[in-house]
Amino acid sequence: MKILLVEDDESVGDFIVGELTAAGHQCAHEKDGEAGYKAAVDNDYDVMVIDRMLPRMDGLTLIQRLRTEGNHTPVLVLSALGDVDDRVRGLHSGADDYLVKPFSMAELLARLEVLHRRASMPVVDVRTTLQVEDLFMDLLKQQVQRQDTPISLQPREYKLLEYLMRHAGQVVTRAMLLEHVWGYHFDPQTNVIDVHVSRLRQKIDRDFDQPLLATVRGAGYRLGPAQAVG
Amino acid sequence: MQVREVLSSLTFRFIVKYVTVLSATVFLLLGAFYIYFSYTSFEDLGESVLEELETLQLVYRGQSLAGVEQYIEDQRALPTVHRFYYLVTNDSGVKVAGDLPVAPRYREFDDGWLGFEMALQNWGESIDVDFLARPMELGDGYQAIVARDYAGIVGRAELVFRTLFRVMIATILLGITSGFFSAAATLNRVERLNMEISRIIRSDPGQRLRVEDEKGYVRTLALVMNQMLEQMESLMQGVRRVSDNIAHDLRTPLTRMRNQLSQLRAGLEHAESGQVDRIIEECDELLASFNALLRISTLESGSRLAGGTDVELRAVLGDVVELYEPLAHERGVTLELDAPQPGVCKGEIDLLFQMFANVLDNAIKYTPEQGAIRVQLRPGLAGDGHSVVIADSGPGIPDAERKNVFRRFYRVESSRSEHPGHGLGLSLVQAIAKYHYGSVELGNNNPGLQVRIKLP
Repeated sequence: MKILLVEDDESVGDFIVGELTAAGHQCAHEKDGEAGYKAAVDNDYDVMVIDRMLPRMDGLTLIQRLRTEGNHTPVLVLSALGDVDDRVRGLHSGADDYLVKPFSMAELLARLEVLHRRASMPVVDVRTTLQVEDLFMDLLKQQVQRQDTPISLQPREYKLLEYLMRHAGQVVTRAMLLEHVWGYHFDPQTNVIDVHVSRLRQKIDRDFDQPLLATVRGAGYRLGPAQAVG
Repeated sequence: MQVREVLSSLTFRFIVKYVTVLSATVFLLLGAFYIYFSYTSFEDLGESVLEELETLQLVYRGQSLAGVEQYIEDQRALPTVHRFYYLVTNDSGVKVAGDLPVAPRYREFDDGWLGFEMALQNWGESIDVDFLARPMELGDGYQAIVARDYAGIVGRAELVFRTLFRVMIATILLGITSGFFSAAATLNRVERLNMEISRIIRSDPGQRLRVEDEKGYVRTLALVMNQMLEQMESLMQGVRRVSDNIAHDLRTPLTRMRNQLSQLRAGLEHAESGQVDRIIEECDELLASFNALLRISTLESGSRLAGGTDVELRAVLGDVVELYEPLAHERGVTLELDAPQPGVCKGEIDLLFQMFANVLDNAIKYTPEQGAIRVQLRPGLAGDGHSVVIADSGPGIPDAERKNVFRRFYRVESSRSEHPGHGLGLSLVQAIAKYHYGSVELGNNNPGLQVRIKLP
């Protein structure tokens, strides 16, 4: 991915650039709003990471300006503020996702991956079936089967699996699942999500040789063929 | 606005006091006037009696008794009712002239004045009238008494007194009525200010009172309130800035440390990585409590909920219960939602969810196997608002500890070792409840803990 990072804190910026580069991405780093704006206009990025508070031009203003000029590159806003208000304001100004500092690199990478994937997909998703290996989901009949065995799921399990299947092969974090499957943005004190995932895993993996739903340590989950944990 | 409010208002009470003092003063002044008026009237009366006696004496000296008799006859012929009455007696006390009876029952006044009562014919009616009289030696053993009634003076004095009394009653009534209306008008203005200021504090502290509409003291008050709002806003901004700075200054290096640890871990053998994993976990916990602390500070220091959206509490509680049900099930705890009717409340749905989740999280953590947790939604007792009760069958919290558990980082001693946690869960619950103009209380569930959340 070609990523633009606009972050005024040099050490955080350098660290993120280092991590993203290590993960195999191309990353440009700008340190203030004006420079970030220039870079975004002059180059073509896959995804942008913009800090909320920036010198010379505020992060949200920067996003608004790009959006009014027709630039629709997906943007993830970084912020040190843990306030709900700020998240709403961020999303209103045209940002696609929002992450509160401190965040784990895994969370950032997972979210950037999802944003990039979403942007490269057609705007209207017309698929009526989803398939990951031998697992099928019929979106119209709301039925799931693996190989030829039908699997019966509770409504929430179905939504959980649907989200995982739509993001097959990508790392999905717990916070992302809470946001998209349950519709709430909050910090659980315990790993309440893990129980739901292990219930789902029981249903789709237990009776089959090849496990599909893997836990990615320190990050979240990935649905797809088993692969070496990175 | 209620009549009672007006009656108990400061302005009205002030005006009542003022009217009382004013009418008392007026009464005293007019009373003094009344006394002075009566006194001078009597003095005039006495003087006229003395003059009449002198005249009588002059007549006696000039024309002796016959002249006196003639004079008295002339006077009696005058058509006035309030005229002089006379009695002339000789040295043996026999009446020789005049129209008074010989010996009415005299009362003796000071300085040789006498008083008596006598019936007078007035328009065919007989009226008892008070007289003032004075005797005098005419000479040769003759003694004269001249008397004059003072009914006229009493009548005038009575008229003055009645007038005074009526004026006073009218003053009091008019004063109090106008006081009532002016107090009502002031109260109206104060109430308008009141409503406006609470709206500003609730919704947008950036707004100000409209000073142009106000006059006098209310205007000054509005100006002072505006200054207070100004200061409050800048203080709030100051606190926000400070917490933003803390966030920037402390969380960023923490993140860096955590991420460097995970880098370090990637290069390690499996045997050693376990130790680093534990450090990373601790780091994450530290960051989590830092986040929670910062959220609590933000919620507590900033303005409260402004506007918010309509949140249906039964649906939110349903979602929370649904999210936690598998966890409860895994721990062998039954979780039950009892919400017979929906309840709509203004709020931020994510925060409300967080609040219920924290309480439920705790309940599940502390409830032993085979235990039960019950989540109840009811309309508020007073008929407005909502009450959410989350009751478990765990060990509960001793009375003495109940206040403390809302303090940041406070943990009940017995749970310290058994259950992990950063001691901020209930602080956040309280901050969120207060942010929504609500409250949290802890109660005994016999056995277990009852967390009662009240929302408007």
